[in-house]
Amino acid sequence: MELANDWMNAAHSTGTSIMAATFDGGVVVGADSRTTTGAYIANRVTDKLTKVTDHIYCCRSGSAADTQAIADIVGYHLEFHSMELGEEPLVEVGANVFKELCYNYRDSLSAGILVAGWDKKHGGQIYSIPIGGMCVKQSVSIGGSGSSYVYGYVDSNYKLNMTKDECVKFVITTLALAMSRDGSSGGVVRVGIITEKGVERKVVLGDELPKFFEE
Amino acid sequence: MSSILCPEIPSPGFSFENCRRNAMLEVKGHAMPKAQKTGTTIVGIIYKDGVILGADTRATEDTTVADKNCEKIHYLAPNMYCCGAGTAADTEMTTQMVASQLELHRLYTNRVVRVATANQMLKQYLFRYQGYIGAALVLGGVDSTGPNLYCIYPHGSTDKLPYTTMGSGSLAAMAVFESRWKPDLEEAEGIKLVRDAIAAGIFNDLGSGSNVDVCVIKKGSVDYKRTYDEANIKGQKQNSYKYPRGVTDVLSTKVVDIEEVSVRVIGAPEDMEIA
Amino acid sequence: MSILAYNGGAMVAMKGENCVAIAADRRFGIQAQTLATNFEKVFEMGPHLYVGLPGLATDTQTVREKLRFRKNLYELKENRLMSPKVFSAMLSHMLYEKRFGPFFVEPVVAGLDPKTYEPFICNMDLIGCINQPKDFVVGGTASAQLYGMCEALWEPNLGPEDLFETISQALINAFDRDAVSGWGATVYIIEKDKVTIKNLKTRMD
Repeated sequence: MELANDWMNAAHSTGTSIMAATFDGGVVVGADSRTTTGAYIANRVTDKLTKVTDHIYCCRSGSAADTQAIADIVGYHLEFHSMELGEEPLVEVGANVFKELCYNYRDSLSAGILVAGWDKKHGGQIYSIPIGGMCVKQSVSIGGSGSSYVYGYVDSNYKLNMTKDECVKFVITTLALAMSRDGSSGGVVRVGIITEKGVERKVVLGDELPKFFEE
Repeated sequence: MSSILCPEIPSPGFSFENCRRNAMLEVKGHAMPKAQKTGTTIVGIIYKDGVILGADTRATEDTTVADKNCEKIHYLAPNMYCCGAGTAADTEMTTQMVASQLELHRLYTNRVVRVATANQMLKQYLFRYQGYIGAALVLGGVDSTGPNLYCIYPHGSTDKLPYTTMGSGSLAAMAVFESRWKPDLEEAEGIKLVRDAIAAGIFNDLGSGSNVDVCVIKKGSVDYKRTYDEANIKGQKQNSYKYPRGVTDVLSTKVVDIEEVSVRVIGAPEDMEIA
Repeated sequence: MSILAYNGGAMVAMKGENCVAIAADRRFGIQAQTLATNFEKVFEMGPHLYVGLPGLATDTQTVREKLRFRKNLYELKENRLMSPKVFSAMLSHMLYEKRFGPFFVEPVVAGLDPKTYEPFICNMDLIGCINQPKDFVVGGTASAQLYGMCEALWEPNLGPEDLFETISQALINAFDRDAVSGWGATVYIIEKDKVTIKNLKTRMD
């Protein structure tokens, strides 16, 4: 008989809804805020939008320990890189460093990461790095367990060259839909808007989320 | 490196020399013994002037209570303490090791070390061992950035939170926090809340028990209240079970006298004989 | 059956008034087969310092030699006796070094501080987690029974004579309900000026 519950030792995983979408002058990243160990919500206000550099963020899904460690290591490499370069690293460079780690350690990691950011060469960009370490550039991308519920919504409602406000609204609605269907996503919606000026963060609380016909 | 005359020069880090033997024994059907666990309730909150950590004091070995009054709030630095749940030896050794690293860091930098630094050291160490070091920690402290509270899981993930619970009693304790925690609590209110959260663990979780330890960390001061609340007082023995002298049947007795160790006076060195 | 119970053995240590006691059974067996009834599990590590190593007998002896080596080296380098507290810390770290491939011993340490003669007892699990209560510690296959006996019999401020009766009866009555320990017992009563070692008459079945 074990007194300590088994979920104590279960890996901590961010059963998640994350997404990123490019718009006219940059990129919007968004995520829910739920961290689960088994059925227990270990953290209901998690920040899954992790800063890598001033203009590059990543959205983390999969094992919390793995993605936090990767984000820390990439942050270290890019800071070093920008010191040697004397300017901010490109988003594709950041994505490549993520990919390199995710691919080389693909057997021991469980991490699905969206890398999003702005640089002066290519503007707002999104790179999706799913489990296995592939890296692909997309103009809109969703990830995590909640994403399966909203592929159709994204495909039919995403438009290229939206305005910032349109894009933010699109991200929030998409995530609200995903969170309402996915049991391991929930809490608040966290949003980050990355433009030339830097990052603007927003939080949409649970009771401020868009409502749909059921409610 | 070893030889007959100098059997061992210890190398740093873990030693795996018994692993093959132990694996062989396991294959032969001898179950591996369980290490001491702290089926625990540990908590931490941020309040108006700092952080408050709390812990129960029961250590279990399977279902046996191995220690009725163990210390689960570990010292890390003068401005930082850390509650530990999980494998007792892992929490003890991990915090001891990080405490020594933090002290060296303080001496190198001549600054009060930050809680974020300790958090990073702990998570990187635990991540390296991929969850095999079973330490679940609640790290709290006050530094130049103000009060900080982290929750660290055995696999190396961390959460920065205003209130947190860990261990097998964490659900009971979290229920108390979710209903009563609010920002900028007064110190007395905060301590009461932490006590009640730990008491919820002690009385509702079988892995937690005995007393409540509380540690209040403010800017520039630490108040470690060991046995803040004796939640379980044993009934007074009304009579003695003491055996009268001479009950035990003795076969042989040997008495070893211990001499007082005499002080050896080292005199002036003798002159060298030059013949 | 756990490998810790392969050879059998019971161990207990208690604090008294200015004295400590440590006691162990004398059986050495391989599972149900008794091979010897004069097996030592408690070892002298200094004039006032004793360590008991119940568990797998091969590791009892290996750990004893490793401890003797490190303790001697310490005393040569430092030119002073090792206190029970330092000894326990050393043993604890020695066991934790083998966190992922442990020795199968659950040590019990009993002694008096070489300077202050303050009583000290502690026990550890097999990976070195120190447990330092104010009353008594137990180890070995009869530990569940010993916890029960000690919880009932122990009281504070026992003198050496009373401590002897208490620890002896606790041990004997505990291991009489354990098939793989017993067959004689040795008790060490450690005081400032002397150590009394007594062999007890017990059931031999």
